[in-house]
This record gives sequence, structure tokens and C-alpha cells, in this order.
Amino acid sequence: MAVAPKADFFEASLRAVADHELHRKLQNASDRHLDHVAQARAEFPPFEAERDAARRIKEQSIARLDELLIELKRRLEENGCNVIFAATAEQARDYIVSLAKKNRLRRAVKGKSMTTEEIGLNQALGTAGLEVTETDLGEYIVQLRGEPPSHIITPAIHLSKEDVGALFAEKLNMPYTAEPEALTAEARKRLRSAFLGADLGITGVNFAIAETGTLVVVENEGNGRMSCTLPETYVAVLGIEKVIPKLSDLSHFLEILARTATGQKLTTYTNFISGPRRAGEIDGPREVHVVILDGGRSAMLADAVMREALYCIRCGACLNACPVYRRIGGHAYNSTYPGPIGSIISPSLFGSAAGHLPFASTLCGACRDICPVRIDIPRLLLHVRWRETETADETRALAWPRATARARAAVVRFARMARHPRLIRMMARIGLALLGPFARDGYVRRMPPPFNNWTKARDFPVPRPRSHHGTANGAVKRGRVP
Amino acid sequence: MGRSNVAEFHKIIARLKTALESPAPSGTPAPSSGDSSEPAPVAPPNNRAELISSFAREFEAVSGGFLGVLAPDEAARRIASLAQEAGARMVAIGEGVTTDASLFTHALEGAGCVVEKFGKLDDGERPAALERLARCDLAVAEAHYAIASTGTFAVVGAPARPNSLTLLPPISVIVVHVDRLVANVAQALAALGPDLVSAHRLSLITGPSRTADIEKRIVLGVHGPKSLYGAIIWPRNG
Repeated sequence: MAVAPKADFFEASLRAVADHELHRKLQNASDRHLDHVAQARAEFPPFEAERDAARRIKEQSIARLDELLIELKRRLEENGCNVIFAATAEQARDYIVSLAKKNRLRRAVKGKSMTTEEIGLNQALGTAGLEVTETDLGEYIVQLRGEPPSHIITPAIHLSKEDVGALFAEKLNMPYTAEPEALTAEARKRLRSAFLGADLGITGVNFAIAETGTLVVVENEGNGRMSCTLPETYVAVLGIEKVIPKLSDLSHFLEILARTATGQKLTTYTNFISGPRRAGEIDGPREVHVVILDGGRSAMLADAVMREALYCIRCGACLNACPVYRRIGGHAYNSTYPGPIGSIISPSLFGSAAGHLPFASTLCGACRDICPVRIDIPRLLLHVRWRETETADETRALAWPRATARARAAVVRFARMARHPRLIRMMARIGLALLGPFARDGYVRRMPPPFNNWTKARDFPVPRPRSHHGTANGAVKRGRVP
Repeated sequence: MGRSNVAEFHKIIARLKTALESPAPSGTPAPSSGDSSEPAPVAPPNNRAELISSFAREFEAVSGGFLGVLAPDEAARRIASLAQEAGARMVAIGEGVTTDASLFTHALEGAGCVVEKFGKLDDGERPAALERLARCDLAVAEAHYAIASTGTFAVVGAPARPNSLTLLPPISVIVVHVDRLVANVAQALAALGPDLVSAHRLSLITGPSRTADIEKRIVLGVHGPKSLYGAIIWPRNG
């Protein structure tokens, strides 16, 4: 998974900011989501207690991740699963591709899985000659469009029903309709035959229970259940952070996950898979392969601050709450994981190419407030920013430290000037006079270098002839403090 | 592949051990040896009537059709008439957990349905059995437990009670014994227990299959059943 360079991000976000239709769709979906979440929380008084319990379990699990993974591996193997640890995305892909070749697999159905997006599995399987069908409706839609998902829970959040109608009319040769029911029915028909004809099923995993050697897959549509039930070979892909100690820990997560992800009390299906089908059963695959991915996570674990990011349960709520995500959408980030949580983890997972993402935040804290496991996302954003500037590689060293030095020098100059009221008043007058020629309709939309970077993305309001300082000063002199 | 992956496993575990030697995040408590799994304080309705009314309300809130609290023979008649109303020709039935499924079989056969049952099958028979199940119009299954606070059924798979009974046919009917109603998710997981979970495929089912992927509009029946009916079985002498 490649992340686009900073310049592309800048271009893409400028384009997105100008796209009012995109705002309407994002706003519509995000507002609905946030309303549902608020209601689900209000109706469930123990929500805060469950949040605390879930947070505590994550802290304790991550603090003994090594032991838990050893236990998980042992229990999964006792249940008849093949367990594979992959240090890198490439190792995970290679294992699954070689498994597909060994078992002569032709057709794969996939449940929604961000981890397989992260490792670029579809392309790898496609190159190996497999036909891969995404079966989550949103994923199916973006796959037909040849796009990646733009949200980790609602992959097609950037599309209207009319967009989907036009897409189905073009790609599936059905008469145009914008009725979600009719579009869903068409997808059901086509995907049902894909399920029955598939020989490989792939899903992600929400929780892995070490005590019982069980994979828990949470979903609403039933496609995850189909993918792990019908094909003869089943592959589950999960990050190392998904492990929890005990079955009894799970309820705390189930009580908060759906309420925050979709505003439901519980998702429609919570599936427990502990191994291949037993003798005499018709359900379940003959082979279960569990691919457990590090892919940069152990480096997050080693960083005392970043470790908190491993508590994330991928509910997607911070995306909908984020004013930046709501303006630019998921595609502008050009990372598997967009939004606030994506801005934190992308640099760890995909390297310094994603190093600019933590800067795409206003640090307003809405993400921290909505996070069901109380991850202090703004603190982590600042930490990743600091790390990106301090430990920059060769190319980044050219850009960021210089910018930092410039900013530092500017602040020092301003501090010096601010000690002389007369000087600062004079500078303000000069500034006002210089800005005058650039003003149009009350705003300065373009300034000459070196200030043009500021106005590239912002409009500067024309300063009022009388400054705040002047107004306040006058008031004090007249004996009225405003 | 085997040996190299064992090496990879040890390498990753070693890396995690090293990573964990760095100080724990500030502001977070050190891992305690205390039991992290104690359920949060949920005030459970602690009598049957409250559990039943809570279940019925929540089940209907997730678009389930609640058939009522019924004696086994009443449930059989109700399901048979449901099958007739829906025009169901082929019906699949799973083995009961506490209820004798033959009651349902007789009632449905009496209503003119062809009833599919499942037992231990060889691998070779699997594809045909799945095809048959996928062609059924309606399926009846008994859940191990039901959760009152969420309107959820916990169904546990077994050879004569396939998990896909509640997945493939477009109309799904799930019954549960009244004694197996529990207050919340934590109680359901405790009742199922680690041994059952590690030995079976199971699903918690909360309403019919649904999606909100197109403009967040809820559409039912995207992959799994479009309709889900539920009944609570309360035997007359129970």
C-alpha cells in the first residue's frame, strides 16, 4: 500500500474542499451517524463504565501482547487452525498467494477487512490469477468503481444513491434506479452466486480470544458469515493487536463497538470461528489459516506514547467526528486508514511517505471525545508530528526542519517587536497599507511570497482600520473597559 | 513454509518482548493482576416477565417479527401458518436444543411443505446439502440463548443444526426456551462458556441481515435472511 506524497495530499484536499457535492454526502452520512451514536449512548447508562472496562482490558492485553499471542497461537492450533505470523505485509501476501496456488484456488470472496486493504491483498491475488469479489455492499460498490474504500466502516460514504445507481446501470447492465432497495437486491443476487461458487473465503477479524482460540467477526450483512462458512478454504487476516485474553472480556467490547460504529446496540451478526468444520458438519471450511500481521505494529508498541494507538478497535467514529475528514473525505488521505486514527497509525504502518498526515488536523479533540476506548488522539497527533520533524529522513530534512527554524525565528522577531508598543503600532499600519492593494470584497485571497503559502489554502480577512489594540486603548482612556 | 514461519513467530515475539521493556505509557495504570473481566454494572431485569418484554421490544426494534410466548405445539402451528402465508414450499429444520423439532416437522408437513433435515454428512455430500439448504424458502432453528437487552439469539452450530440454517434461506425462524433468556451480552457469553465456544461455530444474531452502505439508508436482507421471526417457547408444565 503506497501513500501519496505530501504534494498530492495538498492537491487532493484542495480539490475536495472545493467539492460541495462531496461535502453534502459526507455531512449527510456523518450527521446521521453521530445522531445514532448519541442516541445509542444515551439509551445505555452503563456506556461509560463499559468504555472504561474495554480501555482497561486493552491496556492490560497490549502490555502482555507477547504472552497472549503465544497462547492464541497454541489454542488456535489445538482447534485445528494453521497460524502464520507475518512480520511484513509482503510476507502476509506471499503466504496467502502461495496457499491459493497450492490449493489451486480460483475464486475468492472477501468480507470487509481493512487489514487486507492494508497489505494490498486483492492486487496480489488478482496478479496470481484469482477472481476476487468484495462482498460487503459498500466494498462491492467501490470495487466496481476501481477505487479503494473512503471510510473504514462505510466504504462508499462518498457516493450518493444516484452515483450507485449510475454505476450499477453501467457495470451490471441493470436499468437505472436510485432506490437503495433495488440496488441492494441486485447485489444480493449476484453475490449469492459468488458465495456458492467460491473456493476461498477471506475476512478480517475484530477480536481474537486467546483463552478459547476463537476469531470474532462482527458485521451486519451476513457476508462475513458466508465467507467463513461456505468456501472450503478460509483465511483470516488480523493485526497482532486484536488479541484479547478471555471470552468474558468480549462483552465489554461488543457493548461499545456497535453503539459507536453504527449506533446499533449490537451488530446483526457476531460470528465466532474456532476452527475448521468438525466431522459430519456441513458448515465451515476444511482449512482455516490465520495470518497474524505485525507490519509496523511492534514499532508502535516500542514507543511508549504510540502504544495507545494499538488500543483502537476500528469503529470509524473518529472519522465522522473529524472536521478535516468531513471536509476532504477519505480518498484525499490516500491511506488505507484515513481520518484522525489513520493520521496517527499510517506513518507507522506505511513509513514516512505518510508523515504529512498528522499535520492534517485542527487538534479540536472531537476524535478523543467520541473514541470508545478513550484514545487521546490529539496527544498522539502531536507526538507523531514531533517524531516526524525530529527524526526526519534525508528528504524530509530538507523541508520540515527549515520550516521549523523559520517559524522559530519569526516568533523570536515578533517577541522582540512586541516589547515596543510604538513599533508594533507602526508595523501594523505598514502591514495594513501593504495589504490594501490585495483586498477584494473584504478578503485578501492572494499574497505575494513569502506569504503566499498562507493564502494558498486560506482567505485573509482585510484588517479593520482601527485595531483591537486601538479600540481597547481608547476604551481604557475613556474609562470604559469593554 | 512451516519452519520459516516458526522462525518468524519467534522473531516477532522477541521484538514484542523488547518493545514491552520500554516504559508503559504515562498516565495509564500498570497492568494489574485483577480480573479485568468483571461485568460492568448493568441493571438486569431479573424476572421472566421483564426479560420477555425487554426481549420482545428489542427484537422488534431491530426489525424482528416477534411471534409471542408459545407452548411448543402452539409454536409449531404458528410456524406452519407463517410458512403458508409466505408461500414457503421447502423448509429446513435443525435439531432442537430443548424442544422436540419433530413437532415443527409434522406441523409443516401438514401444511404441505417439503421438510429438509440434516444429520452427519460426509464431505462428499456437503455441496449438495448446501445447495439444498440455499434453495429452502424458510428455516427453523432453536437458539441456545437469547439476550433480552439487545433482542439477540445465540445460535450454536452442530451437524444436525447447521449454522447456515439461519444464514442461507430468505426467511428465518428462531425459537428459544424461556429458561434460556439472559439479561445481557455478558451473561450470554458466561452461559455459553469457553468450552462450547471453542468447540462450535456460533453466531449472535440481532435482527435480519441489513446494510446501510448506500447513503446510510437501512435495507434488509442484503446477504442473509430478509425476514427474521422469533418465538419464546414456554412449555405448559414449565
